[in-house]
Amino acid sequence: MAVLAKVRAAKRAAMRAGEAGTRTEYIAFGLAGETYAVPIGQLAEILRPPPITEVPRAPRAVIGVVSVRGRLVTVVDLRVRIRLPPASMDRRSRILLVDNGVEHVGFLVDDVQQVWRLAPEEIEASNVLGGDQAAHVAGIGRPAGFEGNVLILLDLRPLAESA
Amino acid sequence: MNEGGGRGDGGARDDFFSEAQELVDGLGRDLLMLDEMLKKGHVEPEIINDVFRGVHTLKGLSGLFGATRMAGLSHQLEDLLDELRLGRIDVDAGVLDLLFRAVSLYARILSSEKGEAEDPVHDVEQLLLALGHVSNRREGEGVGAVAQYELDPGLLGVLTEYEEHRLRANIQQGFALYRIRALFSLATIDTALDTVKANARPHGEIITYLPTGSGGDADSIELEILMASKASLGVLSKAIQTTGVSVEEVQRRALSHSIHATGLPNPPADAGAATPSISLHPAHPREAPPLRGGRSSAPAPLSDTPSLVASNVPSPATGAKTSARPGSGEMSLRSVSQTVRVDIRKLDRLMTIVGELAIVKTAIAKLTDRARSRFVETREFATELGRLNRSFERHLAQMQNGILEVRMVPLGQAFDKLARIVRQISREHSKEVNLVVTGAETEIDKLIVEELSDPLMHMIRNAIDHGIEARDDRLRVGKPVVGTIALNAFQKGNHVVIEVEDDGSGMDPKALTAAAIRRGVVTSDEAKELSQREVFALVFMPGFTTKEVATDLSGRGVGLDIVRTNIAKLGGVVDIMSDVGIGTKMTITLPITLAIINVLLVEIGGNPFAIPLASIEEAIVLDEGALRTIELREVLSVRGVSLPVCRLDRLFGFASADQRRGRSFVVIAQVGDRRMGLIVDELVGQQDIVIKPLGRTLSRVRGFAGATELGDQRVALVLDAAALIEEVLVPGETRFFGTADAGRS
Amino acid sequence: MRRILIVEDSGSTRAFVRAVLEAPDFAAPQGGCEVVEASCGFDAMRLLPRDRYDLIITDINMTDINGLELIRFIRRSAHHRQTPLLVISTLRAQQDAERGIALGANVYLPKPFTPEQLRESCAQLLGAPARKSSEPGSRAP
Repeated sequence: MAVLAKVRAAKRAAMRAGEAGTRTEYIAFGLAGETYAVPIGQLAEILRPPPITEVPRAPRAVIGVVSVRGRLVTVVDLRVRIRLPPASMDRRSRILLVDNGVEHVGFLVDDVQQVWRLAPEEIEASNVLGGDQAAHVAGIGRPAGFEGNVLILLDLRPLAESA
Repeated sequence: MNEGGGRGDGGARDDFFSEAQELVDGLGRDLLMLDEMLKKGHVEPEIINDVFRGVHTLKGLSGLFGATRMAGLSHQLEDLLDELRLGRIDVDAGVLDLLFRAVSLYARILSSEKGEAEDPVHDVEQLLLALGHVSNRREGEGVGAVAQYELDPGLLGVLTEYEEHRLRANIQQGFALYRIRALFSLATIDTALDTVKANARPHGEIITYLPTGSGGDADSIELEILMASKASLGVLSKAIQTTGVSVEEVQRRALSHSIHATGLPNPPADAGAATPSISLHPAHPREAPPLRGGRSSAPAPLSDTPSLVASNVPSPATGAKTSARPGSGEMSLRSVSQTVRVDIRKLDRLMTIVGELAIVKTAIAKLTDRARSRFVETREFATELGRLNRSFERHLAQMQNGILEVRMVPLGQAFDKLARIVRQISREHSKEVNLVVTGAETEIDKLIVEELSDPLMHMIRNAIDHGIEARDDRLRVGKPVVGTIALNAFQKGNHVVIEVEDDGSGMDPKALTAAAIRRGVVTSDEAKELSQREVFALVFMPGFTTKEVATDLSGRGVGLDIVRTNIAKLGGVVDIMSDVGIGTKMTITLPITLAIINVLLVEIGGNPFAIPLASIEEAIVLDEGALRTIELREVLSVRGVSLPVCRLDRLFGFASADQRRGRSFVVIAQVGDRRMGLIVDELVGQQDIVIKPLGRTLSRVRGFAGATELGDQRVALVLDAAALIEEVLVPGETRFFGTADAGRS
Repeated sequence: MRRILIVEDSGSTRAFVRAVLEAPDFAAPQGGCEVVEASCGFDAMRLLPRDRYDLIITDINMTDINGLELIRFIRRSAHHRQTPLLVISTLRAQQDAERGIALGANVYLPKPFTPEQLRESCAQLLGAPARKSSEPGSRAP
């Protein structure tokens, strides 16, 4: 659970710096070579994938089910869900658990990276981006110090509600 | 009897809540019975005494544990109940109402003591005022009737005031008195006495039990049971019929004068005074004994207003956190207690399993000894060890499940409380409503029962408020004045279904739709697309009401939308159907989350699956030679009978399906009168498992009833035989959701 | 070591009495204290002949054999004829309490009682002085 420890440390750091009000924390993860991020508040937990049991004839994006402390959680391949090419799991893969109000849904990602604290000026909301962005794309993040690259900000909640 | 001592504050207080909750529940049940009796016009005195004892115990308890509010209420109630049981005040509907109010208040006070709700100060005060005004007292009852009987002179001295009253009351009604004498072994006296009581009770009332003080020793005791009965000695003797038990009638004294109509006998002949006189007045102690111990600062003895020693107990103010829940003025039906009442047979079964585990343990110990010897035969040893290991695993699994089973409680627990609510709400609205319950014995996990209590309460309130019409309206359409709400529970496959049905005015889809459009819940275009079921489901939208004037129920804003959310949290769904003018039925379908079922574990495509044994007729090896294809479907001939089969590895789209070599098995599933053979790769074994629902995301995937954890975090899907049979055997109705993937590892 | 029998059908009341009497506050000056619980009159009748008890505490309103009948039984028995008897009952049952004393109980302590009152009554009946507890208005342990 090294990543969660990083998350907690980041939260403490933010509180100490007294910046909790203006900056939002996002946790970054990799998917098909790109870096995405979601607000920490959306995540209930980050897991190393336990053995995943395949569910025959489930929707394409569903990899299967796992048991988390006795409760069944449906695991969705986030790549497939947002229409990226699929890939196989490796030891860096992680499952992000999101609470959709009724149950927890897990999203499989390639790896989990660090926490970014984004100030409002570092975020470009999707309605500004224009065009028909999918509901789950919340915008673009350009953290200072993340040379040249951007974070694609996601909102996992609509994905969790109707996988 | 000797409980472990030295528990901390938390332990004792938990005991208090648990016992108090049980007492309050018991009171509720007793009051409902009393209600029934009152309606039939015949009230058994025993039940009033039971209610008195319940309140009496609650009063003692609350005093000891510093629950001042409860103690105060109990004190007044006890006074009233004492008057009731001593026959000085009559039980009528008004009094019964007050008692019901008291029980509701008890529940709220308990919640408040636990810090889960507000302290209902105001309502308690109101009730106390009302109790003070109860006035239909009767004249003091006639004394003197007891003198007629040849009873032990010391008898009245050992009767409690209540027993004395019951004795007099029975005598006044002209019943005969009997002595039932028996020698009991102290070890078994409880059960032996229960038998005698059970035989005797139908014939009359038991007044008291007196140890005779003779004929017994350290291990046995002779008891005399004093009983009043209309029956003759012959009838009573026959009923009680146990060896060693004698029944004799208590003789009346020979009186020189007849008894007057007032019931007061003339005093017995004074000459010769062979007959000892029985004191007819409450015994006064001949000396003035110390009535209170110590030199403590207790208030003056024996006043009628005991101090509640408030200074010594923590004030309940700390418990009065404002509840953030909507409608905090009303109570929740959840128990404050975290304990479960367990059917002792479940515990017995667990003990049996422990016994079997002990046997396995002994066998392992013996095996270990053998292992130390130089001459152990490895293969035989390994087989033996494997066998023991499997046995151990099996028993352990049984035990785990047995313990889970202990959490299962009958739904009746939630339903009892609802009966009281129905009574309360219908009186609030001047409607007469009858609650009819079936299926109360259906079992479900205790936590689910707790979560269900409130949604059921809201549904019933809704039915009484919006459903059942006012008296005149009902009469006008020819309905009986008393409305009916039927509460029905049963198990259906892997679900528990609870129906709440009323015979009220039903819902008019047009009025609903119009109201929905008005409130902006749907647009008029959307409304046209709605099926009837979806129209009725509109009532689950937040803040919905068709009554323009908000009654105090619907005005609370605790709408049916919360009901739906709470049920969804339990993994269930709620449906609603209605016929205008006839009634409405709401149906809750819940997965028995902790349902334990017996399954056959199999392997398909290399993955583990479970098939509920209840759906299985038998399992056989697949004889490929006996397969035929008839009209595109594979059929197997089994002992001369044709059986349609389904290759599950293909159905589930496993890549390995077409490369399968080696033998397969056919699990013959039967649901209703349909049979189908499910072809699987391997049979693994039989097991008890805990089935869990798959979750909303996967709810549309066909063929699975849920899943279970096999230990070691592996999950096996549980097949839904009925769904599979329907899918394969009933073509044209099959719906695929997505395509079968090539599978991911 | 003092052995005390409590006869009372309410489980939590028994637990309360046990907690008070087995606490060091009370038990230490008595040289140790063991509270034995009986949930009904029959239980008490089973226990009493087998052991010596220094004090018996009983409620009056119990099912089956009521407390009064138990008191009479005890006062007639060979084993505990003289044992100090403390009756606990609610003030409501004034008449019952009087009868209890008439039958031979020594002291009547009305419910609800404080731990302090229980300690004092028991200490008095056991014959050793009760130690005053250190805090005023002490709570049940």
